[in-house]
Amino acid sequence: MAILEIKGLSKKFNNNVVLDGIDLTINPGDIIGVVGPSGTGKSTLLRSINLLERPEEGSISFGELKLDLPLKGNGKKTVKELRMHMGMVFQRFNLFEHKTALANVMEGLITVQKKTKEEAREIALKELENVGLLEWQNHYPKHMSGGQQQRVAIARTLAMRPDIILLDEPTSALDPELVTEVLNIIKKVAEQGYTMLLVSHEMDFIKKISTRVLFLDGGKIIEDGSPREVFGNPKSARAREFFAKMNKLKEPDYII
Amino acid sequence: MSTNFSDFFSLELVWKRIPELIKKIPITLELALFSFLVSIVVGLLIGVARYKKIKVLGSVATAFLSFMRGTPMLIQLYVAYYGIPAVLKIFNSWGANINVNLVPKLVYAFVALGLYQSAFTSETIRAALESVDKGEIEAGTAMGMTYPQIFRRVIIPEAIENALPGINNSIIGLIKGTSLASTCGIIEITYQNQILAGRDYRYLEGYVALAIIYWVITLILERVFKVVEKKTRIPEQPKELAEV
Repeated sequence: MAILEIKGLSKKFNNNVVLDGIDLTINPGDIIGVVGPSGTGKSTLLRSINLLERPEEGSISFGELKLDLPLKGNGKKTVKELRMHMGMVFQRFNLFEHKTALANVMEGLITVQKKTKEEAREIALKELENVGLLEWQNHYPKHMSGGQQQRVAIARTLAMRPDIILLDEPTSALDPELVTEVLNIIKKVAEQGYTMLLVSHEMDFIKKISTRVLFLDGGKIIEDGSPREVFGNPKSARAREFFAKMNKLKEPDYII
Repeated sequence: MSTNFSDFFSLELVWKRIPELIKKIPITLELALFSFLVSIVVGLLIGVARYKKIKVLGSVATAFLSFMRGTPMLIQLYVAYYGIPAVLKIFNSWGANINVNLVPKLVYAFVALGLYQSAFTSETIRAALESVDKGEIEAGTAMGMTYPQIFRRVIIPEAIENALPGINNSIIGLIKGTSLASTCGIIEITYQNQILAGRDYRYLEGYVALAIIYWVITLILERVFKVVEKKTRIPEQPKELAEV
């Protein structure tokens, strides 16, 4: 039984087609890696799923919730309900600068899930411990490294117990030495049985943790299969070319 | 005939003048306070309307802003001074029953000062709202917070920090601006000086005394602002570490 079903999702920026009729079915426990060249709609796909971007056409179904685009009637209410089932981790962390790490994690629990402060604190502390930042609970984001901020952001997302986690290039804004600590946390989260959609350029990481890989090009999913299939034996020339380029970057004598 | 320096200027007279001027400080402060309230309410309205790009209100606000910033405060005071009674009389001709003479002069002044300052305050507020990181708003949206919740709990706390220096500036501007209210016949400290100097012709001493008073008020306010601004800022040091 699918957890999320997307049909014919299309999005244009001005006259530039970014998503071109995306169909996608996500099953519970799927760890989906989304890869592809820059500007092919990977981030837009993620941001369209929780309606941070407004696609012009298509539909998104989550269990009983069904959202037809463009929005009409009580669509706005459905959007909010849909968002409550999804968590998002951003490239630039997007922590609330004026709140401590703890308050950041508690925020959604209090305002969206209407939990009491005590309940929220208890959950938040557990999640901060989960990402190894319990002793940083009273620090403000500006006192933390990028890696730590991203771990707080992950804790903030997990605290809401989302059914699907959307990760939009979660390590792209980090210094190389901080990438590992965040990837380790994401790996840990994946092992906890969450359903995830991960846009990333960390190919090796995606190869390792994902159960399914999507290759996007020109706003379309042109490869969809297991990591072994997509990375090992891509059907399209476009994907083969892309992976060949990525591999070339890794050669030790590659000099720009 | 010998000329003595004290014929032109006597420091002693300055000190003597100060206590007499201070008697009218409550009027000056009252004027500043009420104009500040008007400026902050109107400024907030215009600032938010322009930030949210609310259609009609936004364009009206932009026109108002352009007028208020493009005309001198003194002229606006006169317009209020003569204009408000005229408007009330028009209301009366439509059947209202307002005794125009009972409207205190103070009202003209703080409406005029407040509206003038609101133009600047609204821009401070709008800039402060716009400087809040869009990513944080998206984070709140993505987790299912409603816009009013995001506005209250994410945007406002950050905007306040950004807006405070500008708002504090506008308070100082208003304190100094109250001196113009003397032209509306309000006996605040500047008018009080006019009256006193009219008796002994010691204008220079009077104005020096006035300058000192305005300066001291401003100095005290600046100290207060420093404390308030520090309170709204993210602390440099984290709160005490939790015991774990």
